[in-house]
Amino acid sequence: MADHLAAESIGDYADAVLAVARAEKASGQVEAELARFAEALRTNPELQSTLADSAINVERRIAICEDLLSGKAHRATTAVTSMVIAAGRGGELAEVIDAVIDRAAAGRNRRAARVRSAVELSEDQRARLASAIQASSGLEVEIHAVVDPSVMGGIITEIGDDVIDGSVRSRLQQMRSGFG
Amino acid sequence: MAAGETIGGCVLEKAAEVEKEYGSLQAFKSGPEDAIEDFEDDLEGCVEAPSPILPEIDEIIWGSAAFAILFAFMAWKGFPAVRRAMDARSEKIQADLDAADAAKADAMSTKSQYEEQLAEAKTAAAAIIDEARMQADQLRTDLQARAEADIAEQRARATADIESSRHQAIDDLRGDVASIAVGAAERVVGASLDAEVHRSLIDSYIEEVAGSRDNG
Repeated sequence: MADHLAAESIGDYADAVLAVARAEKASGQVEAELARFAEALRTNPELQSTLADSAINVERRIAICEDLLSGKAHRATTAVTSMVIAAGRGGELAEVIDAVIDRAAAGRNRRAARVRSAVELSEDQRARLASAIQASSGLEVEIHAVVDPSVMGGIITEIGDDVIDGSVRSRLQQMRSGFG
Repeated sequence: MAAGETIGGCVLEKAAEVEKEYGSLQAFKSGPEDAIEDFEDDLEGCVEAPSPILPEIDEIIWGSAAFAILFAFMAWKGFPAVRRAMDARSEKIQADLDAADAAKADAMSTKSQYEEQLAEAKTAAAAIIDEARMQADQLRTDLQARAEADIAEQRARATADIESSRHQAIDDLRGDVASIAVGAAERVVGASLDAEVHRSLIDSYIEEVAGSRDNG
């Protein structure tokens, strides 16, 4: 397995992805699709380990990725994920995508807020959540929401290294820890 | 009768003298009375035994001469040879006695050496036995101490294992209870999470985030 990428190298990969998305004039769509793909990788460790496994032929790993995205995502999304995997960085694909989202938001003078909820958020809820975050922290954020059934209920918001966990799952975990 | 002459020989010799003198014994019997008495005295002389102590004079002479010759010869040749043989014999006996004394002295010296070596060997053996006994005592003491230490260690380990097992059992039980309780809570919560509850939870979260400015 290749060595882990440094943060600076991950930023370089993110810049390359954003350049491709801008060239295709599909930045917003590519960012949203990459955010969902990153979430799919986090909730599916087997897929993530397969894409990172150097024992599997790189063409085979690219084919798996293209099969997953083909017909469901913009061709630029498929191209940039294939590019990262071809570079032997399939294991860091989720981190590269996080960097893409952070840098894209930063390019618009905003912070990326990764939001996970058990059910899909409505536009109104997204807007109110962005306003609430801005009101509490002074940060203007872009909401990148994904559905994660493991949350069970409520919301988990991540802005950089800060996490605001209001999920039912965390309440149950606190309850389990209380028994210890 | 002379020494060494038999009675019969003496009688026959006297009879022959008479027969020679008178022609025959018959003529003698008719001879003079005093000749017959002399003849009877001669016969009595034949019957008389010679002296058992005093030999005849000629025997004394011849015997003395022979003795003197033999004595002289012995004094000249025999006695010195006998003396030399005796001296040689005495010297040999003395040499043998001296050799025996020397051998006895050597034997005594060797015996003394052996006794000394034996004493040293006994002393060394006693020292070795004492050393071995001390080592055995030390070894027994060490083994006993080690065994006691092992027993103490095993006992401490067993106590620790029991305590660890007890804690593990308690933790397992606590984990099982937590899993059962949380599992039950998850089932209750999951059953009650409908769309309205989700919306309410999200709205509450947004209000809490918005209100955190006032609190913070």
